Amino acid sequence: MLKKIAIEKISQLVAVLMEKGTLLAPVKEISGHNFAQILDPQKVDLNFYNTILSPKGAFFPHKEDFVKYKIGKPLAEAEPAVLNLKPAFLFGVRPCDVKSFEIMDIHFDAAGIIDPYWRARREATTIFGYAYDLSVPVDSADFYNTLGINAADPEGSDIFMVKNDKELLLKGITPKGKKLLGELSVLAKASSGDEKYFEGYIKKGKEYKTRFLSLDQDAVAKKLEDIFDNTDFWTRMSSACLSCGICTFVCPTCYCFDICDDTLFGKGTRRRVWDACMFTDFTLEASGHNPRAQVYQRLRQKISHKYSYHIRKYGVISCVGCGRCTRSCPVNIDIYSIVSDALKA
Amino acid sequence: MININPYIPVPVQISKIINEVDTNDIKTFRFTFLNKEDEQNFKYMPGQFAELSIYGKGESPIGIASSPTQQGFVEFTVQRAGVIVPGLVTSALHDMDEGAQIGIRGPLGNSWPIEFLEKKNIVVVGGGFAFTTLRSLINYMLHKDNRSRFGEITVIYGARTPGLLLYKDELAAWEKRDDIKSVITVDKGDESWKGRQGFVPAVCKEVAPSPKNTVAVICGPPIMIKFTLPVFFDLGFSRGNIITSLEMRMKCGIGKCGRCNVGYKYVCIDGPVFSLAELEELPRDY
Repeated sequence: MLKKIAIEKISQLVAVLMEKGTLLAPVKEISGHNFAQILDPQKVDLNFYNTILSPKGAFFPHKEDFVKYKIGKPLAEAEPAVLNLKPAFLFGVRPCDVKSFEIMDIHFDAAGIIDPYWRARREATTIFGYAYDLSVPVDSADFYNTLGINAADPEGSDIFMVKNDKELLLKGITPKGKKLLGELSVLAKASSGDEKYFEGYIKKGKEYKTRFLSLDQDAVAKKLEDIFDNTDFWTRMSSACLSCGICTFVCPTCYCFDICDDTLFGKGTRRRVWDACMFTDFTLEASGHNPRAQVYQRLRQKISHKYSYHIRKYGVISCVGCGRCTRSCPVNIDIYSIVSDALKA
Repeated sequence: MININPYIPVPVQISKIINEVDTNDIKTFRFTFLNKEDEQNFKYMPGQFAELSIYGKGESPIGIASSPTQQGFVEFTVQRAGVIVPGLVTSALHDMDEGAQIGIRGPLGNSWPIEFLEKKNIVVVGGGFAFTTLRSLINYMLHKDNRSRFGEITVIYGARTPGLLLYKDELAAWEKRDDIKSVITVDKGDESWKGRQGFVPAVCKEVAPSPKNTVAVICGPPIMIKFTLPVFFDLGFSRGNIITSLEMRMKCGIGKCGRCNVGYKYVCIDGPVFSLAELEELPRDY
């Protein structure tokens, strides 16, 4: 089922989705685009390469309240946060970011204890994937081809969108997406020519080349284990690192968090907030012992987690090659180059 | 666990506080659950831990010091932190009186491998403050319903001074029993100390337990571990028959927050208990 809407009418589609629930879509900010909750349909801007922050915040927000309490009062009086989620629509997600949700699902929603917040937000949300614009040159930081993802890959999206000169084409991929498309009367039926264009675009997406490294998952996992004690290598790789943690905050598959108590005037909130393995006190123990006090140990942890430990634990690399960490790094550290060099170390 | 939010603690009340040491910085807290249902859900085995939770301060992962054979309460022996890091939770707990309420999340982590230990001789080696989950294990094994499941039990426990030995009443009671061999030592005695003097590794060498059908369960400060392991290697213990428990900084305790990993293992769910054979497979990142 393929539908379409004229580009100048996208705000009408946006308005319908806003009526149905919460809409998160790219908006233009001072230094680039980011996903934000849409309150004004005109704010949605699909003319972006990719957002600065990944869309993981839709399911794993920067701050997630667990419970509110009054200090010194019995625990029974504490009030656990109630999510009360409306249906949500995550609109305009690039294929590599769509893939990241699948990787995060394993951690939060399949392995061991289920994270109730991730699951609830994920279940409430319909994902509108959005092919990269193949007429725009690929960013030099991107390497999602290395992770088996291409620029117009509809897999994982509920609805997948491709733009041509005048229209936005939308195809239902999952039952959830197909059902929603059927309900959106603002959309027009696509012609057989549109169908051809859509399918052709998906195919063409495979030829839109990012940086590529031929990776055997098990081999790279093993290699990183083998060079764990190669301190010279890790010191060299991390020599410029400022431990600022931006690579983890922009990353779609970084999930480390802290649990904090925030108090003021006798009231408090316990919540989780994003944390970063690049921070010195991330592993600082009460005794004062810190297994990862040195920057090389922390960068080694970050790379090994994504390209070794995660494979051993969950069977997948915890990276989608979106290029954000490389683009955001103030000192030009590039995870692709580190993995590439590690294989030769 | 889906219906129960794993991040929200359940309420417990401090029913007893025992000042364990003469430096006053280690206390055992006995907690009773305020809700029967929470108590029933808190089914644990020796070696597991829980997050002690104080609203306004935070949470602290602490090993369970009581044994599941003791009904109606759960105990934790807690050192007041704060020399190097603030120690918000442990300090707040130490300042509390009996009757105060806190939260608890757990039980968490794996446990001492009870099935593996069955029908074997057990040598428990502890040093200093790291004796809490070992005490849980010993009391579990000594319980009348369990004692016959294990072979000979030997306990070698040391502290820097007599005043720093934990669970003094129980140590004295074990000395009187004939179904446990307990060897208590201090690095340096005082005028009233009539017992043994000497470091744990040296005492282990002297006691020289046979490795035959025997598992050593060892917990202590890194320096003790460092010098004790070679003694057990020399005695002929295999890496698979030496069991220990790791500590790492933790937050969630359920394998989600990402900070307590050693290689691909999370100490909070894959541990804290590991055999030396397992640890040697992992990167030295702890």
